Amino acid sequence: MAAIEISSVTKRFGTYAAVNDVSLSVPEGAIYGFIGPNGSGKTTTIRMIMNILLPDAGEVSVFGRQSSSSARDDVGYLPEERGLYKRMPVRRLLRYYGQLKGKPLKDIDPVITTWIERFQLGPWADKKIEALSKGMAQKVQFISAIVSKPRLLILDEPFTGLDPVNADTLKDAVLDLRRAGTTIVFSTHDMSAAERLCDRIFMIFKGQKVLDGTLDEIQSTYGQDTVRVRVSGGRAALADFSEIESVNDFGNYQDLRLTSDPQAFLQKLSQKTAVQHFELTKPSLHDIFVRIAQPTAEDLKRSVGGAD
Amino acid sequence: MNRIFIVAQSEFLTLVKTKAFLIGLLLMPVIMAGAIGFQVYAQKHSDRDDHKFVVIDHTGVLYAPLSAAAAAFNQKNGTGAVRTGPNFIPEAAPSATPDEAYRLELSDQIKKKALFAFVEIPASVVDPNVETPPAIQYYTETPSYDRLPNWLEQILNEQITKSRFGQAGVDQALVKKLSTHADIAMMGLLAKKTDGTVEQAKKVDQIAAFVAPFAVLFIMFLSVTSTAPQLLNAIIEEKMSRISEVLVASVSPFELLLGKLFGVTGVAVLLALVYFLGAGYYAIYAGRTELVQPALMGWFVIFLICCVLMFGSMFLAIGSACSDIKDAQSMMQPVMLLLMVGYIGSFAVLRAPESNLALGLSFFPTSAPFIMMLRMAMQPTPPLWQPALALAITLLTTVGFVWAASRIFRVGLLMQGKGATFAEMIRWIKAS
Repeated sequence: MAAIEISSVTKRFGTYAAVNDVSLSVPEGAIYGFIGPNGSGKTTTIRMIMNILLPDAGEVSVFGRQSSSSARDDVGYLPEERGLYKRMPVRRLLRYYGQLKGKPLKDIDPVITTWIERFQLGPWADKKIEALSKGMAQKVQFISAIVSKPRLLILDEPFTGLDPVNADTLKDAVLDLRRAGTTIVFSTHDMSAAERLCDRIFMIFKGQKVLDGTLDEIQSTYGQDTVRVRVSGGRAALADFSEIESVNDFGNYQDLRLTSDPQAFLQKLSQKTAVQHFELTKPSLHDIFVRIAQPTAEDLKRSVGGAD
Repeated sequence: MNRIFIVAQSEFLTLVKTKAFLIGLLLMPVIMAGAIGFQVYAQKHSDRDDHKFVVIDHTGVLYAPLSAAAAAFNQKNGTGAVRTGPNFIPEAAPSATPDEAYRLELSDQIKKKALFAFVEIPASVVDPNVETPPAIQYYTETPSYDRLPNWLEQILNEQITKSRFGQAGVDQALVKKLSTHADIAMMGLLAKKTDGTVEQAKKVDQIAAFVAPFAVLFIMFLSVTSTAPQLLNAIIEEKMSRISEVLVASVSPFELLLGKLFGVTGVAVLLALVYFLGAGYYAIYAGRTELVQPALMGWFVIFLICCVLMFGSMFLAIGSACSDIKDAQSMMQPVMLLLMVGYIGSFAVLRAPESNLALGLSFFPTSAPFIMMLRMAMQPTPPLWQPALALAITLLTTVGFVWAASRIFRVGLLMQGKGATFAEMIRWIKAS
């Protein structure tokens, strides 16, 4: 059984279709990455999964049940950045969020204790949220999403604004939960995190599904036209090649997308400058994302104010 | 149902477990007592200046007794630090007939603060043959200060009457004896006791007639205003920090709305009970056991619950439709106005509890809880059908408001960005 089954779902706000005829199946136990530019329909999709919004057409089911509050109790949700009462003490807040999911305190308290210890929040357990640093608050928020031991965990931008130590702590926690059988959906703008963590990736753009599959599947669809080069003279040496369609400059090396045969290009390049590194690569998720979303940067500017 | 209770419990604890709540609870009576105390103090102690005034006495007989009366008045007020009132210091105008230039001169002195006022008494005021004597002229720069002219009017008229009676040959002592004043005493009604004897009417006492009913109304007003508006800030905070998203991922918006309303109602009832216990304890301590009326408390709690639910749902609806406090503040003005109707109306109702205005306000949904409680605490108690009808109207309106609020709440809660207008809110209520 799929954890989430979305079939031909459309959601309109007025005449604007935020999500347009989208289908998606998230298998149980997977880590599924949701990507897409701001305003493309990610949050609307997530809200329909959580039964906050109802679709205008199509069906959403979670663990085989359609939009019922009992399915909602199996879903944990971590919104972006905030979502905590500033003036509530940590433990009381966690108990409250757990109880709202219909779990008795005797089940909730041991989970809270375990996670507070794991995240080393012990001394802060009875302090108010406003006394915590951003990293600590993010950890508390993470615990609040999993305190009811959900079978499906939805994380919206879980790693933004965290230092590497805290980000690793959370990543480890996410992977542990996956090992324990939790299905995880997370939306992110961090393409490298999506590449590293996700089993499958779903991209929504202008309300429509544009990518859905494993990273390999997606990359092979987008071809082998990318090469990574390091040459003497850096980026300046790459000017004046008509076969270069685009350059993604990383400073020490550049990713190029070519319109001609890579071997022919290598020959031409080595005549002009010393080639230190030349590698045929698959396009990164970042490149694929930009390729899909870039032409409409103007459109995006106009759609400011829509739900992201 | 269980989750409504969980939300209510959390809301209740969040409001009650703050220092602000405890301080507010204790502070309100202190502020009230302080305000009354200050007024009494200010009345006694603020007006302690010397008021020098010139008297142009055309009668030639009034200045001397006036001067004596002023001396007596000043002496009664005491001297130095313990002085409790102003000193009136009269000064006779020169005997020459005063002209325009002299009046102008006095006016200048008043402007320079060398003088407070001057009075011109026409000669004919003491003439017993004049039917309508001309007015005594009191010239001043501060017409708002009425203590001196009032005092002058009283003292001068005593002397004028005395002088007229004297000229008419009537004996002063006889006049005084014959013109003693008869007071009026406000009495309640007689009643027949169970044993057939008649219970005599008692003298009406001001505390039972005015103070106690107003206290009941005021506690209702205080309990509502210090709780219901807090929902507005709470819901905006939740919306802005995306807490509402987390909450509606766990409970339905309707459960959330009811939970919040019940939580805040609990706080209001707690608040009212604390004040009533305090007032009741004081009444018993002061030996006024008859002021404590348990039956009234039952009505009070029911009306209070309706009132908090009604206004709470309005505040929640507005809060959920706005995206920041500034937006909300202008939208809450009409609601505050509705909340004030009962309080402001109460002053007129206290004076005429059976007037049409009182009846109208008793059955107008947002003022009914306040005015009906006020009238039930007053004499004569309204017939039972009146509070029953008021309660029915209040209950129906409350249900209506909670329903409408839940419709707005459902849509508004997840709206980010621009706040909604009243027209949009009405559209949300109508939308299926």
